[in-house]
Amino acid sequence: MRIEFKREGGLAFFPGLARPRTVDLAALPPATAEALKREVREARFFEQPTTVGGSPTMGADRTRYTVTIEDDGGRRHSVQLVEPVKEPHLRSLLELLQKAEREHRAP
Amino acid sequence: MCCNSRIWHSHHCILPPYVSRQIAQNGSPQQRAKALRTLSIDNTLRAIRLSSSGAPQAAKRLIPGPMVVESQKLRTIYNVNNSEALPGMEARSEGKDDTGDAAVDEAYVGLGATYDLYWEVFGRNSIDGNGMPLNGHVHYGSGYDNAFWDGERMVFGDGDGDLFNRFTISVDVIGHELAHGVTEHEGPLAYFLQAGALNESLSDCFGSLVKQRLLNQTVDQADWLIGAGLLTDKVQGKALRSMKDPGTAFDDPVLGKDPQPANMKDFVNTWEDNGGVHINSGIPNKAFCIAATNLKGYAWEKAGLIWLETLRDSRLKANASFLSFARLTVTAAVRLYGSGDEEQIVRDAWGQVGIKVSKERAGAPVWTPQVQKPATQPVQRKH
Repeated sequence: MRIEFKREGGLAFFPGLARPRTVDLAALPPATAEALKREVREARFFEQPTTVGGSPTMGADRTRYTVTIEDDGGRRHSVQLVEPVKEPHLRSLLELLQKAEREHRAP
Repeated sequence: MCCNSRIWHSHHCILPPYVSRQIAQNGSPQQRAKALRTLSIDNTLRAIRLSSSGAPQAAKRLIPGPMVVESQKLRTIYNVNNSEALPGMEARSEGKDDTGDAAVDEAYVGLGATYDLYWEVFGRNSIDGNGMPLNGHVHYGSGYDNAFWDGERMVFGDGDGDLFNRFTISVDVIGHELAHGVTEHEGPLAYFLQAGALNESLSDCFGSLVKQRLLNQTVDQADWLIGAGLLTDKVQGKALRSMKDPGTAFDDPVLGKDPQPANMKDFVNTWEDNGGVHINSGIPNKAFCIAATNLKGYAWEKAGLIWLETLRDSRLKANASFLSFARLTVTAAVRLYGSGDEEQIVRDAWGQVGIKVSKERAGAPVWTPQVQKPATQPVQRKH
């Protein structure tokens, strides 16, 4: 399973943080990979609409994440998650992705 | 009299008209001049709005609230307790003492300073002009790297501690979020492309004014930074943005380099970030900084008033360009201060960021059709 993750928006624009990241679960520690797989499954990611969360017209400075997942069977689906994301499994999936990003960033 | 005990602010208030009239009749010569100016602005905008299309709705918005002269500041800070379950638990309400939780107390003070700027200087009663309670939600999420306005409330993360400190640490960021609420209630500015960058810039301008007023800084003393203290020591940067020198706030291996342009010739065309709203806002930010600096004194006194009047101008459209906004600031300067130094300073400020406001075109484009519309399409009104 491969996950593409892109962060946009927020209080400021940081070019370094806006770059899309790709996570190959095969390259992650097994526990992290398993946790990600579980949240993808429990969030029913492949059944989610293309945009989740937020309000379409109001608000400002909200972060928007584009998550694209391709599973081993070749299924591919993209979801835009706009803050505040309330669904707990999607929320948890986002946090795991951010954690993986931070760990990757740390030397 | 109209603005608590800080007497030196009382004459700035654009209060319910009868209060301004009172000052105009009984105040000192200086107070009278300011009050009369206030009354004239007020009436101009009321006239513009009432004569524009959708008059019943505009008129409804103009019905003054209760004739209050007391502050209606009503803050509530909620602790979301490192979850996303908004609203969270009430942690501090209006008038209560410090809690010892820095995020709660900073949010409380920041919301108060923002309310005070709008009320004591501009006579605006909260975000909606009608005493809307101010709700701040702190400790949102886990190591959450952002603060945002969701259309009803301000939400602040604690930051990851690696790149960002807690998002309540900079009072201008709190003012920035609240100003988004004012822009949303007052103006039609879309959060996209140039209009979105203007929306962002207005939040930076008023966020910075909140900080400057809290610290009692003149234009020369202000640092004109947005989010100073928010980046951790590990980051090579001093803030999120610099209004004085856009593009110089950070240059870091992880965050990248501050992408803000300072001049129209460097305008960034992009679909990212809602069409570059946090990027191109550097251009109007710098224009505001230059105008305020050349108008001297405290930035909220003239520059802040001119920009707020521009936001309130019914000729400002959802898809406003930098140029159309610039023209309206010049007309606002004339409306407030007559043709003279202020008008020239505002026009020059835009000129220095590459936006030329010609004398003849200032304010002209959308004025005529709007005024004519009610005459050609009379609106049925109940009396």
